Amino acid sequence: MNLDLIISDLEEMNVMSAVYVKCTGDIHMGVLLYLPEKESKILAEKLLGKSISNELAGIATSSISEIGNILTASLTNAISIGTGYKICSSVPGYAVEFFRTLIEAVVSDFGNESDTLVVSNVGLCGVNSGIGMHMLLIQDPSEIKKLVI
Amino acid sequence: MNRVIEIKMGGLEIITDETEELKTFVGSCVAICLFDLVSKVAGMAHVMLPKKSDGTKFAGKNDIGKYADEALSYMINDMILKGADKKRIKAKMVGGATIFAHESETSLFNVGPRNIAFLKQILQENNIPLVSEETGENFGRWVRFNLQSGEMLVTSNLKKFEKTI
Repeated sequence: MNLDLIISDLEEMNVMSAVYVKCTGDIHMGVLLYLPEKESKILAEKLLGKSISNELAGIATSSISEIGNILTASLTNAISIGTGYKICSSVPGYAVEFFRTLIEAVVSDFGNESDTLVVSNVGLCGVNSGIGMHMLLIQDPSEIKKLVI
Repeated sequence: MNRVIEIKMGGLEIITDETEELKTFVGSCVAICLFDLVSKVAGMAHVMLPKKSDGTKFAGKNDIGKYADEALSYMINDMILKGADKKRIKAKMVGGATIFAHESETSLFNVGPRNIAFLKQILQENNIPLVSEETGENFGRWVRFNLQSGEMLVTSNLKKFEKTI
Protein backbone atom coordinates (compact mmCIF):
# COMPACT_ATOMS: atom_id res chain seq x y z
CA MET A 1 0.00 0.00 0.00
CA ASN A 2 1.63 3.21 -1.16
CA LEU A 3 0.69 6.15 1.08
CA ASP A 4 2.78 8.57 -1.00
CA LEU A 5 -0.02 8.51 -3.59
CA ILE A 6 -2.30 10.45 -1.25
CA ILE A 7 0.18 12.57 0.70
CA SER A 8 1.01 15.94 -0.81
CA ASP A 9 4.20 17.85 0.02
CA LEU A 10 2.18 20.48 1.86
CA GLU A 11 0.51 17.90 4.04
CA GLU A 12 3.88 16.28 4.72
CA MET A 13 5.25 19.56 6.12
CA ASN A 14 2.39 20.65 8.39
CA VAL A 15 1.26 19.31 11.73
CA MET A 16 -2.45 18.57 11.48
CA SER A 17 -5.25 18.46 13.97
CA ALA A 18 -7.48 15.51 13.13
CA VAL A 19 -10.65 13.72 14.10
CA TYR A 20 -11.37 10.16 13.08
CA VAL A 21 -14.78 8.51 13.20
CA LYS A 22 -15.36 4.91 12.25
CA CYS A 23 -18.74 3.96 10.80
CA THR A 24 -20.17 0.46 10.92
CA GLY A 25 -23.48 -1.20 10.20
CA ASP A 26 -24.90 -1.73 6.71
CA ILE A 27 -21.94 0.17 5.35
CA HIS A 28 -18.37 0.39 6.69
CA MET A 29 -16.27 3.50 6.30
CA GLY A 30 -13.81 5.76 8.05
CA VAL A 31 -14.13 9.53 8.12
CA LEU A 32 -11.00 11.58 8.76
CA LEU A 33 -11.39 15.31 9.24
CA TYR A 34 -8.15 17.29 9.36
CA LEU A 35 -6.85 20.83 9.23
CA PRO A 36 -3.54 22.51 10.09
CA GLU A 37 -3.05 22.67 13.85
CA LYS A 38 -2.72 26.47 13.77
CA GLU A 39 -6.11 26.80 12.07
CA SER A 40 -7.73 24.36 14.47
CA LYS A 41 -6.74 26.68 17.31
CA ILE A 42 -8.53 29.58 15.58
CA LEU A 43 -11.55 27.35 15.04
CA ALA A 44 -11.61 26.22 18.68
CA GLU A 45 -11.35 29.85 19.80
CA LYS A 46 -14.38 30.72 17.67
CA LEU A 47 -16.36 27.79 19.04
CA LEU A 48 -15.47 28.42 22.67
CA GLY A 49 -15.57 32.21 22.47
CA LYS A 50 -12.23 32.63 24.20
CA SER A 51 -8.59 32.71 23.25
CA ILE A 52 -6.35 29.67 23.56
CA SER A 53 -2.79 30.58 24.44
CA ASN A 54 -1.24 27.15 24.80
CA GLU A 55 -1.52 23.85 22.97
CA LEU A 56 -4.96 22.50 22.19
CA ALA A 57 -6.18 20.43 25.12
CA GLY A 58 -9.27 19.53 27.15
CA ILE A 59 -12.39 21.36 26.06
CA ALA A 60 -10.61 22.81 23.00
CA THR A 61 -9.84 19.35 21.55
CA SER A 62 -13.37 18.35 22.49
CA SER A 63 -14.76 21.19 20.39
CA ILE A 64 -12.76 20.05 17.35
CA SER A 65 -13.88 16.45 17.94
CA GLU A 66 -17.44 17.71 18.05
CA ILE A 67 -17.07 19.26 14.59
CA GLY A 68 -15.88 15.91 13.28
CA ASN A 69 -18.80 14.25 14.97
CA ILE A 70 -21.36 16.67 13.53
CA LEU A 71 -19.95 16.54 9.99
CA THR A 72 -19.76 12.75 10.04
CA ALA A 73 -23.28 12.48 11.43
CA SER A 74 -24.54 14.82 8.67
CA LEU A 75 -22.90 12.59 6.08
CA THR A 76 -24.12 9.29 7.51
CA ASN A 77 -27.60 10.73 8.00
CA ALA A 78 -27.71 11.82 4.35
CA ILE A 79 -26.51 8.38 3.21
CA SER A 80 -29.03 6.71 5.46
CA ILE A 81 -31.93 8.82 4.14
CA GLY A 82 -30.88 8.16 0.54
CA THR A 83 -30.28 4.43 0.88
CA GLY A 84 -32.12 3.20 3.96
CA TYR A 85 -28.85 1.87 5.43
CA LYS A 86 -28.46 1.73 9.18
CA ILE A 87 -25.09 3.25 10.09
CA CYS A 88 -23.50 3.54 13.55
CA SER A 89 -20.61 5.91 14.19
CA SER A 90 -17.93 5.53 16.86
CA VAL A 91 -16.83 8.03 19.48
CA PRO A 92 -14.52 10.44 17.62
CA GLY A 93 -10.78 9.97 18.08
CA TYR A 94 -8.56 13.06 18.21
CA ALA A 95 -4.91 13.42 17.24
CA VAL A 96 -2.30 16.05 16.47
CA GLU A 97 0.32 14.68 14.09
CA PHE A 98 1.75 14.88 10.60
CA PHE A 99 -0.64 13.72 7.89
CA ARG A 100 1.45 10.64 7.12
CA THR A 101 0.97 9.35 10.68
CA LEU A 102 -2.75 10.08 10.64
CA ILE A 103 -3.45 8.33 7.37
CA GLU A 104 -1.22 5.38 8.32
CA ALA A 105 -3.20 4.88 11.54
CA VAL A 106 -6.54 5.11 9.75
CA VAL A 107 -5.53 2.74 6.96
CA SER A 108 -4.13 0.15 9.38
CA ASP A 109 -7.13 0.43 11.68
CA PHE A 110 -9.41 -0.04 8.73
CA GLY A 111 -8.09 -3.58 8.38
CA ASN A 112 -9.26 -4.07 4.84
CA GLU A 113 -8.71 -7.45 3.30
CA SER A 114 -7.50 -6.15 -0.04
CA ASP A 115 -4.48 -4.09 -1.07
CA THR A 116 -6.52 -1.03 -1.96
CA LEU A 117 -8.82 1.52 -0.43
CA VAL A 118 -10.96 4.20 -2.06
CA VAL A 119 -10.26 7.64 -0.58
CA SER A 120 -12.68 10.48 -1.38
CA ASN A 121 -11.42 13.93 -0.47
CA VAL A 122 -13.80 16.80 0.31
CA GLY A 123 -12.41 20.31 0.85
CA LEU A 124 -14.35 22.63 3.16
CA CYS A 125 -13.63 26.35 3.44
CA GLY A 126 -15.14 28.91 5.80
CA VAL A 127 -16.50 31.85 3.74
CA ASN A 128 -15.79 34.47 6.41
CA SER A 129 -13.03 32.88 8.45
CA GLY A 130 -11.10 31.44 5.51
CA ILE A 131 -10.38 28.35 7.60
CA GLY A 132 -9.93 25.33 5.35
CA MET A 133 -10.25 21.69 6.27
CA HIS A 134 -10.43 18.36 4.56
CA MET A 135 -12.72 15.45 5.09
CA LEU A 136 -11.57 12.07 3.80
CA LEU A 137 -14.05 9.30 3.29
CA ILE A 138 -12.17 6.00 3.35
CA GLN A 139 -13.75 2.78 2.15
CA ASP A 140 -12.92 -0.65 0.92
CA PRO A 141 -13.75 -0.93 -2.81
CA SER A 142 -16.45 -3.50 -2.03
CA GLU A 143 -18.11 -1.06 0.37
CA ILE A 144 -18.15 1.88 -2.03
CA LYS A 145 -20.10 -0.22 -4.52
CA LYS A 146 -22.99 -0.09 -2.06
CA LEU A 147 -23.10 3.67 -2.56
CA VAL A 148 -22.66 3.98 -6.30
CA ILE A 149 -25.06 1.27 -7.47
CA MET B 1 26.59 5.84 0.63
CA ASN B 2 24.30 2.89 1.35
CA ARG B 3 21.37 2.08 -0.90
CA VAL B 4 18.15 2.58 1.03
CA ILE B 5 15.22 0.26 0.39
CA GLU B 6 11.95 1.84 1.42
CA ILE B 7 9.23 -0.50 2.63
CA LYS B 8 5.62 0.47 1.94
CA MET B 9 2.68 -0.26 4.25
CA GLY B 10 2.21 -3.99 4.51
CA GLY B 11 5.47 -4.59 2.66
CA LEU B 12 8.42 -6.81 3.53
CA GLU B 13 12.01 -6.85 2.29
CA ILE B 14 15.02 -9.04 2.98
CA ILE B 15 18.58 -7.92 2.37
CA THR B 16 21.91 -9.74 2.29
CA ASP B 17 24.08 -6.86 1.13
CA GLU B 18 25.75 -4.76 3.83
CA THR B 19 25.61 -1.68 1.62
CA GLU B 20 21.81 -1.74 1.78
CA GLU B 21 19.57 -0.30 4.49
CA LEU B 22 15.90 -0.86 5.22
CA LYS B 23 13.64 2.11 5.85
CA THR B 24 9.97 2.62 6.67
CA PHE B 25 7.52 4.85 8.51
CA VAL B 26 5.22 3.60 11.25
CA GLY B 27 2.45 5.07 13.36
CA SER B 28 0.15 2.42 14.76
CA CYS B 29 1.78 -0.14 12.46
CA VAL B 30 4.95 -1.91 13.62
CA ALA B 31 8.31 -2.17 11.87
CA ILE B 32 9.67 -5.55 12.88
CA CYS B 33 13.23 -6.30 11.94
CA LEU B 34 14.87 -9.73 12.15
CA PHE B 35 18.60 -10.06 11.60
CA ASP B 36 21.53 -12.44 11.72
CA LEU B 37 24.65 -10.30 11.87
CA VAL B 38 27.00 -13.26 11.33
CA SER B 39 25.41 -14.31 8.04
CA LYS B 40 24.53 -10.69 7.26
CA VAL B 41 20.90 -11.37 6.47
CA ALA B 42 18.12 -9.08 7.65
CA GLY B 43 14.48 -8.54 6.97
CA MET B 44 11.98 -5.85 7.82
CA ALA B 45 8.19 -6.00 7.68
CA HIS B 46 5.70 -3.17 7.99
CA VAL B 47 3.04 -4.99 10.01
CA MET B 48 -0.44 -3.47 9.89
CA LEU B 49 -2.54 -6.05 11.71
CA PRO B 50 -2.00 -9.08 13.99
CA LYS B 51 -3.56 -11.70 11.72
CA LYS B 52 -5.94 -12.18 8.87
CA SER B 53 -9.44 -12.79 10.15
CA ASP B 54 -10.62 -15.00 7.29
CA GLY B 55 -7.71 -17.44 7.51
CA THR B 56 -6.74 -17.19 3.83
CA LYS B 57 -3.11 -16.90 2.80
CA PHE B 58 -1.62 -13.65 1.51
CA ALA B 59 -2.53 -12.79 -2.06
CA GLY B 60 0.83 -11.70 -3.41
CA LYS B 61 4.20 -10.13 -2.75
CA ASN B 62 2.74 -6.69 -2.05
CA ASP B 63 1.19 -7.53 1.28
CA ILE B 64 3.47 -10.19 2.74
CA GLY B 65 4.28 -7.92 5.66
CA LYS B 66 0.73 -6.87 6.37
CA TYR B 67 -0.22 -9.49 8.97
CA ALA B 68 2.12 -10.26 11.85
CA ASP B 69 1.81 -14.04 11.71
CA GLU B 70 2.32 -14.30 7.95
CA ALA B 71 5.10 -11.71 7.93
CA LEU B 72 7.22 -13.41 10.59
CA SER B 73 6.70 -16.88 9.17
CA TYR B 74 7.70 -15.72 5.68
CA MET B 75 10.62 -13.66 6.95
CA ILE B 76 12.14 -16.45 9.08
CA ASN B 77 11.87 -19.02 6.28
CA ASP B 78 13.26 -16.71 3.62
CA MET B 79 16.12 -15.55 5.84
CA ILE B 80 17.11 -19.18 6.49
CA LEU B 81 17.00 -19.85 2.75
CA LYS B 82 19.35 -16.90 2.30
CA GLY B 83 21.86 -18.23 4.80
CA ALA B 84 20.68 -17.11 8.24
CA ASP B 85 20.88 -19.46 11.21
CA LYS B 86 17.59 -19.46 13.14
CA LYS B 87 19.46 -19.75 16.44
CA ARG B 88 21.27 -16.50 15.73
CA ILE B 89 18.25 -14.48 14.57
CA LYS B 90 17.42 -11.53 16.79
CA ALA B 91 14.61 -8.97 16.59
CA LYS B 92 14.09 -5.26 17.02
CA MET B 93 10.81 -3.45 16.64
CA VAL B 94 9.44 0.07 16.44
CA GLY B 95 5.97 1.60 16.31
CA GLY B 96 2.61 0.40 17.58
CA ALA B 97 1.54 3.85 18.67
CA THR B 98 -2.00 4.80 19.63
CA ILE B 99 -2.44 7.83 17.40
CA PHE B 100 -6.05 8.77 18.09
CA ALA B 101 -7.02 9.57 21.66
CA HIS B 102 -10.59 9.01 22.68
CA GLU B 103 -12.70 10.77 25.18
CA SER B 104 -14.39 7.56 26.14
CA GLU B 105 -12.59 4.92 28.18
CA THR B 106 -12.97 2.25 25.54
CA SER B 107 -10.58 2.63 22.66
CA LEU B 108 -11.80 1.20 19.38
CA PHE B 109 -8.56 1.98 17.66
CA ASN B 110 -6.00 0.11 19.73
CA VAL B 111 -4.49 -1.76 16.81
CA GLY B 112 -0.97 -0.54 17.74
CA PRO B 113 -0.78 -2.21 21.17
CA ARG B 114 -2.46 -5.33 19.73
CA ASN B 115 0.21 -5.53 17.02
CA ILE B 116 2.99 -5.25 19.60
CA ALA B 117 1.51 -7.89 21.89
CA PHE B 118 0.92 -10.33 19.06
CA LEU B 119 4.40 -9.88 17.58
CA LYS B 120 6.00 -10.48 20.98
CA GLN B 121 3.98 -13.67 21.33
CA ILE B 122 5.11 -14.97 17.92
CA LEU B 123 8.74 -14.07 18.64
CA GLN B 124 8.55 -15.97 21.91
CA GLU B 125 7.00 -19.00 20.20
CA ASN B 126 9.91 -18.98 17.74
CA ASN B 127 12.56 -18.42 20.44
CA ILE B 128 13.70 -15.21 18.80
CA PRO B 129 14.97 -12.67 21.35
CA LEU B 130 13.63 -9.13 21.11
CA VAL B 131 16.83 -7.21 21.84
CA SER B 132 15.40 -3.70 21.71
CA GLU B 133 12.23 -1.80 20.96
CA GLU B 134 10.87 1.72 20.67
CA THR B 135 7.14 1.18 20.84
CA GLY B 136 3.85 2.62 22.08
CA GLU B 137 3.23 6.32 22.80
CA ASN B 138 1.16 8.40 20.37
CA PHE B 139 3.39 9.56 17.54
CA GLY B 140 4.75 8.33 14.22
CA ARG B 141 8.36 7.26 13.69
CA TRP B 142 10.75 6.91 10.76
CA VAL B 143 12.86 3.76 11.06
CA ARG B 144 16.12 2.86 9.33
CA PHE B 145 17.98 -0.43 9.83
CA ASN B 146 21.66 -0.77 9.07
CA LEU B 147 22.77 -4.34 8.34
CA GLN B 148 26.45 -3.58 8.89
CA SER B 149 25.98 -2.42 12.49
CA GLY B 150 22.64 -4.01 13.34
CA GLU B 151 21.50 -0.61 14.55
CA MET B 152 18.06 0.83 14.05
CA LEU B 153 17.80 4.59 13.78
CA VAL B 154 14.45 5.93 14.99
CA THR B 155 13.36 9.52 14.37
CA SER B 156 10.20 11.48 15.07
CA ASN B 157 9.46 14.70 13.19
CA LEU B 158 6.75 15.67 15.66
CA LYS B 159 8.69 15.01 18.85
CA LYS B 160 11.94 16.07 17.19
CA PHE B 161 14.04 13.19 18.48
CA GLU B 162 16.50 10.77 17.02
CA LYS B 163 17.68 7.65 18.78
CA THR B 164 19.51 4.45 17.96
CA ILE B 165 18.27 1.16 19.32
